[in-house]
Amino acid sequence: MKEEISNIKNEAIAQIMEADSATELEEISIAYLGRNGKLTNLIKRLKEVPPEERKENGILLNEAKSTIQSFLATQKGKLSVTARKWFDPTVPGAKPPIGHLHLVTQGIRQISRIFENLGYVRVRYPEVEWDWYAFEALNMPKGHPARDMWETFFVDGATDPKLGQTVLTPHTSNGQVREMQRIHSTGSGLPPIRMINIAKCYRRQSDASHVPMFHQFEGLVIDKGISVAHLKGTLDAFAKEFFGPERRTRLRPYHFQFTEPSFEVDVTCGICLGKGCKVCKGGWLELGGAGMVHPAVLKNGGIAPNKYTGFAFGWGVERVVMMKSCLEIPDIRLLYSSDLRFLRQF
Amino acid sequence: MDIKIPDKWLREYLETKATPQKLAECLSLCGESVEKIEKIGNETVYDIEITTNRVDSASVLGIAREASAILPRFKIPAKFTQPMTHAKQRTFSSVNYLKTNIDHNLCFRFSAILIKNIKIATSPLDIQNKLIESGARPINNIVDISNYIMFLFGQPIHTFDYDKIKGAKMHLRASRKGEELTTLDGKKHKLPGGDIVIEDVDGRLIDLAGIMGGLNSAVDENTKNVLLFVQTYNPVNIRRTSMALAARSQASILFEKGLDTELVDPALRYGIDMFVNLTKGTPADEILDIYPDPYKVKAVKTNLEFINERLGISLTKDQISKSLVPLGFYPRWSGKNISVEIPSYRRDVEIPEDIVEEVARIYGYRNLPDTPLSGVVPIPINDSPFIFEEKVKDFLSGWGGVEVYTQSLVPKELAGPEALKLKNPLGKEAEYLRTSLMLSLEKAARENSGVTEPFHLFEIANVYLPRRGDLPVELMTLAGVFVNDSYENAKGIIEALLEKLNIDYKFVPEDSKGFLPSQRLSIKTGQTEIGQFGVLESGLIYYEFPIESLQKASKEQRSFVPIPNFPSQIEDITLSFPAKTYLGDVIEKMKSADKLISEVKLVDKFKDFFTFRIWYQHPTKTLTDREVEKIRNRLVETIKRQFGGFLKD
Repeated sequence: MKEEISNIKNEAIAQIMEADSATELEEISIAYLGRNGKLTNLIKRLKEVPPEERKENGILLNEAKSTIQSFLATQKGKLSVTARKWFDPTVPGAKPPIGHLHLVTQGIRQISRIFENLGYVRVRYPEVEWDWYAFEALNMPKGHPARDMWETFFVDGATDPKLGQTVLTPHTSNGQVREMQRIHSTGSGLPPIRMINIAKCYRRQSDASHVPMFHQFEGLVIDKGISVAHLKGTLDAFAKEFFGPERRTRLRPYHFQFTEPSFEVDVTCGICLGKGCKVCKGGWLELGGAGMVHPAVLKNGGIAPNKYTGFAFGWGVERVVMMKSCLEIPDIRLLYSSDLRFLRQF
Repeated sequence: MDIKIPDKWLREYLETKATPQKLAECLSLCGESVEKIEKIGNETVYDIEITTNRVDSASVLGIAREASAILPRFKIPAKFTQPMTHAKQRTFSSVNYLKTNIDHNLCFRFSAILIKNIKIATSPLDIQNKLIESGARPINNIVDISNYIMFLFGQPIHTFDYDKIKGAKMHLRASRKGEELTTLDGKKHKLPGGDIVIEDVDGRLIDLAGIMGGLNSAVDENTKNVLLFVQTYNPVNIRRTSMALAARSQASILFEKGLDTELVDPALRYGIDMFVNLTKGTPADEILDIYPDPYKVKAVKTNLEFINERLGISLTKDQISKSLVPLGFYPRWSGKNISVEIPSYRRDVEIPEDIVEEVARIYGYRNLPDTPLSGVVPIPINDSPFIFEEKVKDFLSGWGGVEVYTQSLVPKELAGPEALKLKNPLGKEAEYLRTSLMLSLEKAARENSGVTEPFHLFEIANVYLPRRGDLPVELMTLAGVFVNDSYENAKGIIEALLEKLNIDYKFVPEDSKGFLPSQRLSIKTGQTEIGQFGVLESGLIYYEFPIESLQKASKEQRSFVPIPNFPSQIEDITLSFPAKTYLGDVIEKMKSADKLISEVKLVDKFKDFFTFRIWYQHPTKTLTDREVEKIRNRLVETIKRQFGGFLKD
């Protein structure tokens, strides 16, 4: 058999060397390696060979096969381009349909990931809310001028003797007291609380930079010994992770009825990094509000303000997403259009 | 509240070398937020946002006082000087020229002075310019004096034509519901009741106090004698009235924040000086000042540890004092305890946390450390929907779906049945809280009517189902719409989704509202409907699942099925059926015809003929052709009996 293998191999090689077209090479390949090819037939006969010779012949057969294949490939390469079998590797791929997640979803994912890694628990509290959770529990009694900041929609719905009328929550801060109440029904019933509440909010406003429906993310931390320094540390960590390690944050005094002290938080502009440029005018961009939880709010949530302190912040998802990507979307309302020409860009 | 402060005017009371830019930056970091610096004419003007608790800084003097405390922290010397007044009249709780009857719950301090023989003229240019820069229009010296003092002190004042106050008598009381009054802008108001009004001897209402004067007592070109009028009103009444009547004057915006009663006297005296200078009028010798409950100094008590714990830093007693004193607070230490006396203009400072804020903002938030959180992490919530929702969105977008966020506030025609209505919508196009996503997604599809290739839009959002006497149920719902695509392609996506979510589902044809008859499937697990899919009356293909139902039906993991050791036999058979046979039922039946049939798929259809690929699988051996034939015969027999289907020869 050894001789046969050697003969077939040499014969094949001779034919391959002489071939000068792709079709010819294809025919040779079939004649030797095809289903009924000469070498294939030899392989089939291997079982007739006495066992002690089988291994050696097997090796030779394999060697012959790979030699023929290699000569075929080499000869194909030697053929002139015109003689080769035509193949167009530049043909456009048949793509599967490509889907898109909304920019707001992408933003929410990044935000939740960052806070979940810091041990925060993600929750979602009602959009249609009692006046008490949206305002009164947050130290804003009825008729308080501070309520003007939130241009609130009122719903023609239920009125509760204790909780007041039905409103569309103008901020995710309605989740603060709800989260404190939730904690009472878990484990020890006591803090720590590390909440990240992401939900839709509504305000009576509509122009190029405001939409009546938008999203906020609200952080709430309550534990023993929580300080302004912790708030600073947390917000700075978020900004560095979300916007980039070169970014810095700062606090400015502000006023919210439900935090004391209260702050506005700024982050350095992504273009000039705080030096001041045409885009940011002064180096800083406003992120949103924050503060140390007001003792009256802790009391309303059933948490002793002499034992626990906390901080909270509530910022716009749309706002941080647009700031992050430096998207120059001229009209924020475009985010909520269903135009595929817009949605497919992201 | 936004105010405009002209730089030049500010520097009349604030001595500093700080540039406007530096001043704005320091003020923003430690006090009031300067939104921008603008040029009005030749003058630099600061646009400043005043928060509701800090009405004390809503004036030229207020900002000067803040800046004088803040700038030195940035090593820029600054000095605040109070305005000088010359009026030396003494004050009395009753005077001859005006008899009063005052409800002290409505008016905490009532002061006035008669000024005779005034001459109306235009104001000097300097005053006119300051008013223009502050955002007011100069009118004449009388009106201008009022505005000037309001911008300078943050204290609104009013001027009556003295001779129009019948009987020289004022009764300040709460209005009765339905009483009428015309304000000096000519608007007639029907009062809601509980408004602060002033009535004269004839029973006429001559002032809507704190909001706007009455037309019948207004100064006009013939006015000779005026009553200069400076008050502190109850903020709650002022706010209620100005909101109810939508009469938001600068005066009412200041009054409703609760003004400092101690501001009345300096503002009045400054006003007397201005009347003397600008109108050549002669003030009376006595000031009427009814102030039954003068400000008593309050103190807020706290301690060193409290302040440092809240800030996360170790300040010394001296550092704390040095932050408080320039703001007008008077700290007294007793060991580690501190008692801080509050000036009358800082009544917003009530609790120890307020002291913390004052210390920190002057010390500088920039000087506090950034400390990461430590301590115990809270327990996560079981069965949280967020990861599940992410998964669903990933699958759908992975198969070409495009996620949309449509408005939850919709017009009536998109709201669905019994939807909740807003009391104060922005317009008819956003008046209701939707009870279904169906109409919103159809609208989203229509917005892309120019697109001719197939597309798939989906959304996960709440719908709001009203409940009597309670908040609505907010039902997080997945819904989607397929456009320009075949029923099979669309249904395939839903089947794939259900499979990837490990849901054991079945499709049951059932009609429902909005869908074409016989073109809707109820998607069930057991007897429970978890969603729906079908062709809408508009021709679009739509699906919808409440997320909670979907998540409940979804298993995290499938159980393990051993991989068979023996190859399955696979063959195609072609069948034909009578018209109106549900293929879904046929395939279900085929799968259950014999336990050795492991899988059935429709692989081809041509006219009335359907080719099915059948997998025959025995767990412990390879089936022989004979055995397969037996199963096949049984299968064909079942199909024939059940559906009247027959094998193509």
